[in-house]
Amino acid sequence: MEYISLFIKSIFVDNMIFAYFLGMCSYLAVSRNVKTANGLGIAVVLVLAITVPVNYLLNRFVLQPGALSWLGPGFASVDLSFLSYILFIAVIAAMVQIVEMIVEKYLPSLYSSLGIFLPLIAVNCAILGGSLFMQQREFGNILEAIVYALGSGIGWYLAIVTLAAIREKMAYSNVPAGLRGIGITFITVGLMGIAFMAFMGIAL
Amino acid sequence: MGKLRETILNPLFKNNPVTVLVLGICSSLAVTVEMKGALVMALSVTVVTGLSSLILSLIRKTIPNRVRIIVQLVVVALLVILVDQILRSFEATYAIDKQLSVYMGLIITNCIVMGRIEAFALGNKPLPALIDGLANGLGYGLILLTVAFFRELLGSGTLFGIPVLKALGYPGNGLVILPPMALIILGCIIWIQRSIDKELQE
Amino acid sequence: MNTNGNTYTVVYTSLVCVLVAAVLAVASQALKPRQAANEKAETISQILVAAGYGEMEGWRKAGNAAVLQCFRDNVEGEPQVYTPSQLKAQNYNIKHGKQLSLPVYRFKNGVTVLAVYGAGLWGPVWGYIALEPDMATIAGAYFDHESETPGLGGKIKDDPSFRDSFKGKVIGGDNTVEFDAISGATMTSRGLKTAIDTWMKAYREN
Repeated sequence: MEYISLFIKSIFVDNMIFAYFLGMCSYLAVSRNVKTANGLGIAVVLVLAITVPVNYLLNRFVLQPGALSWLGPGFASVDLSFLSYILFIAVIAAMVQIVEMIVEKYLPSLYSSLGIFLPLIAVNCAILGGSLFMQQREFGNILEAIVYALGSGIGWYLAIVTLAAIREKMAYSNVPAGLRGIGITFITVGLMGIAFMAFMGIAL
Repeated sequence: MGKLRETILNPLFKNNPVTVLVLGICSSLAVTVEMKGALVMALSVTVVTGLSSLILSLIRKTIPNRVRIIVQLVVVALLVILVDQILRSFEATYAIDKQLSVYMGLIITNCIVMGRIEAFALGNKPLPALIDGLANGLGYGLILLTVAFFRELLGSGTLFGIPVLKALGYPGNGLVILPPMALIILGCIIWIQRSIDKELQE
Repeated sequence: MNTNGNTYTVVYTSLVCVLVAAVLAVASQALKPRQAANEKAETISQILVAAGYGEMEGWRKAGNAAVLQCFRDNVEGEPQVYTPSQLKAQNYNIKHGKQLSLPVYRFKNGVTVLAVYGAGLWGPVWGYIALEPDMATIAGAYFDHESETPGLGGKIKDDPSFRDSFKGKVIGGDNTVEFDAISGATMTSRGLKTAIDTWMKAYREN
């Protein structure tokens, strides 16, 4: 039950896009059509689902104050938390690189349509945000971390596919010339954000 | 000479990282509630993009293509963390660091830093890379300050904490303080920019 | 030179990692004592402000030595000063029902300062609440945070009127205190309320 509420909460209430506004750059740039949005969304879910649990283990057994005590009592006072930023980022970058290589090899059309934004997932704030939130919330076990990662990934996925669908429809609307493309998208996301604020009041 | 001029001026208007390249949006939403925060962020990002572009351009020929993302991120993170650690060690700069540390995560993950390294620094000589980095930081700062100007003025009725509209009895508008409003203001800035410069229209 | 070979890639990556780790470790070790001293002085100055001694701006100008001196002169006994990371460890203990050791600072002007710690929107929030001798009325408060949005959640620290709104409030029998949330910063305010309520409950029970 706890896991279900965490899952729902990380999709809707703590939505990465609409509650925290994380991962905006690629969100706005790669939402022109549903197909590419789908691809990037899945990539983000994948990367989050891999990096958050890995970073959870790293945090639990290496970084936390006293985390190294499994090596022996002499290590109990070692505090490596100053390394957490750089290690989290290194793990994320490595995972992104792996996903990039796989996509390039097996899905070349997706690879070319994602362009610069695939390597930029590495600096997608949603990914690092996922790991940092995981560290801050002190999840009790790795299952919670996985559920959280999946939930926030799916929340991000839903948000980008919804926006892409709206943008596909909007291509047929008569938007003022200067607003066409990215301008109207900004305003759309702003309005979606205001709508999503309604979820903030829900306590799960 | 003309090329240098272009490298400096392009990122400010024609090729602005925020309104044209759509980079660095997360932080534009987070730090534009007040002018002071926007200014601090703009300056730090300018310094970080400039320095990291310079360093990575210096070592660009040695980086293996397959691990370039890791190398880039590690260098940027190292730079930011070192500055943070040094500032934190001195009594005089400790207070400044406390204010900056709020932005640290945002600076490391700012796509402008990485985007300029990928798109420019890795293919150019150190000096143009440094200038490109600095100019992009400034272009980013320009947008940040514009958005912050409207949000602070209309949201809390102040500028840099000094009451302006507030002094005239303006009660403030909570909606402008919320992040979605930053997106709408950005949309309007893009609208204005593209109405002036028709080439950018889609 | 072939920069795409496997050997080169592996050697290059390991070299970069070792180099960066070494630089960071040296910097962290060499600067740690100075940083710890600064952190302690800052914590103490925040406690002093909550207890009604001076203002933050003044303490910053006065320097670390003056802060420590004033603390020694005005506090009863020699309590151990808990830094935010030590508060974090105690917060973990509260959550998981483990053995607690919570900081209590009694001052010569009659107030007792207690600490609170919890999660805000982006990172931890913590603070110090000074209580009158009846141990229920709030005499003053000071809050700090790691990474709340400046101008929104950051107001718990930067906005003096938010701190002042705590003065004279009474902690009820259910160990909670009601205060007005900051508009636009619902999550931060809610996190702070949870922090205060949990810690006050923990204090009452011990």
